[in-house]
Amino acid sequence: MDSLLTATYQAFHLLFSGNTELWHIIAISFRVSTTAILLAVGPAILVAFALSYLRFPGRRLLIALFNTLLSVPAVVIGLTFYLLLSRQGPLGDLHLLFSQSAMVIGQIALCFPMLVAMGHAAFQSADKRAWETARTLGASPLFALYTVMREVRFGLLATLLAGYGRIIAEVGASMMLGGNILNYTRNIPTAIALETSKGEFAQGIALGLVLLLLAFVLNASLHYFQGKGQVVA
Amino acid sequence: MSHIVFSDIHKAFGKRQILKGAEIRLQTGQCFLLSGPNGSGKSTLQRICAGLEKPDKGWIDIGMGARSWRKQRHVLQTSCVYLHQQPFMFDGSVRQNLAYPKTLIKSKEERKARIEIALHWAGLEPIADCWAKTLSGGERQRVALARAWLRSPRYMLLDEPTNNLDDDAKQRTLSLLQSLKAQGIALLIASHEAEHFLPVADGWFELSAGKLVNKIPSQTQNDNVVTLSKNRLVGV
Repeated sequence: MDSLLTATYQAFHLLFSGNTELWHIIAISFRVSTTAILLAVGPAILVAFALSYLRFPGRRLLIALFNTLLSVPAVVIGLTFYLLLSRQGPLGDLHLLFSQSAMVIGQIALCFPMLVAMGHAAFQSADKRAWETARTLGASPLFALYTVMREVRFGLLATLLAGYGRIIAEVGASMMLGGNILNYTRNIPTAIALETSKGEFAQGIALGLVLLLLAFVLNASLHYFQGKGQVVA
Repeated sequence: MSHIVFSDIHKAFGKRQILKGAEIRLQTGQCFLLSGPNGSGKSTLQRICAGLEKPDKGWIDIGMGARSWRKQRHVLQTSCVYLHQQPFMFDGSVRQNLAYPKTLIKSKEERKARIEIALHWAGLEPIADCWAKTLSGGERQRVALARAWLRSPRYMLLDEPTNNLDDDAKQRTLSLLQSLKAQGIALLIASHEAEHFLPVADGWFELSAGKLVNKIPSQTQNDNVVTLSKNRLVGV
């Protein structure tokens, strides 16, 4: 018990004393995950919209596929892209393995199905008259899409936060594709795994606290916006 | 005066054939009624006319020869406005909803002035800053009409515009429709209580077995009905 309290005290000390290594790890985590979500969200929303509003052969199959991909473990995504990006793999010439770019690719693959599936659910919940009213009042397809997105903005925001929550806390893909290199690809989850295996709990707890705080902020925002959406609807 | 002729319109949903060669002609400044039982295809026909729903087959002539719906879709979308049975209100105030339609007016002041005119025209001034989603059915209908009017359409397709409205709201809607017609806008009103619109109507069609047939009111007790003679039914 004493050792746990000591480790927790040290964790707070590390956080508030401005430990460069610790804050570097946090910065890498946020940089990689924010880049991944920003790159994924645009195309994912377009795919979600197309699955909701367009009728084409194979639509239902695609919806089922994205829902299935939701449950693929991060480590399997990591393994798949490891094989693709490794020297002998088809994308080996790009020399991306063990880089932040590789981590971004892995995290995009992780959050994309989630963004599509949840985005699709958000668009499905939208009133179909919103699109038709926008179009009949002269809105271009792009502006009508913006109008519908505005109508379901709380659902889409929930999608974004859930996707971000998934990738910032995942360890499997980041470990395999980033390689856990200090000051380069070591992010919060991989650092926690490493420090814990070394028996250095203070840094692990400090980083865990950051993740907990982030999870709390994301969930609180989600509940706030969802509540606001219900009031408006 | 301009017109659109829709001919040989076919539409099926699954195995159910809704429209089987329906034909209709819309003329600016004239108002036609469209009646028929539930599920007869009134809304579908209006949505096809507005360029929102693709027919399985159909020809559209805007005065330059009959062309396919797909080729005329843009023309339909720019000249027609479709009003849902229960109009959709965007998130925002009534004023913000009226600011939505795309118009050719570039000047911000002129656009604002037009919105004020629309508010006055539809009697919406007292609720101009109210949240549009919280309005009653009659108020929504008037917002939808004013919003459509701001788009300056040549053809307006209204789906059950007085459904579930009280008598006062029905009367206000009717007077707005009369005003729209007087401004030269063509109206196609789908309603199961079409008799209510006879004072403003130039023709009455009934959708039966997927086709449009001219319908002449059998009841002539209502004075308004007398004004609707067979000669005024100009549908194809």
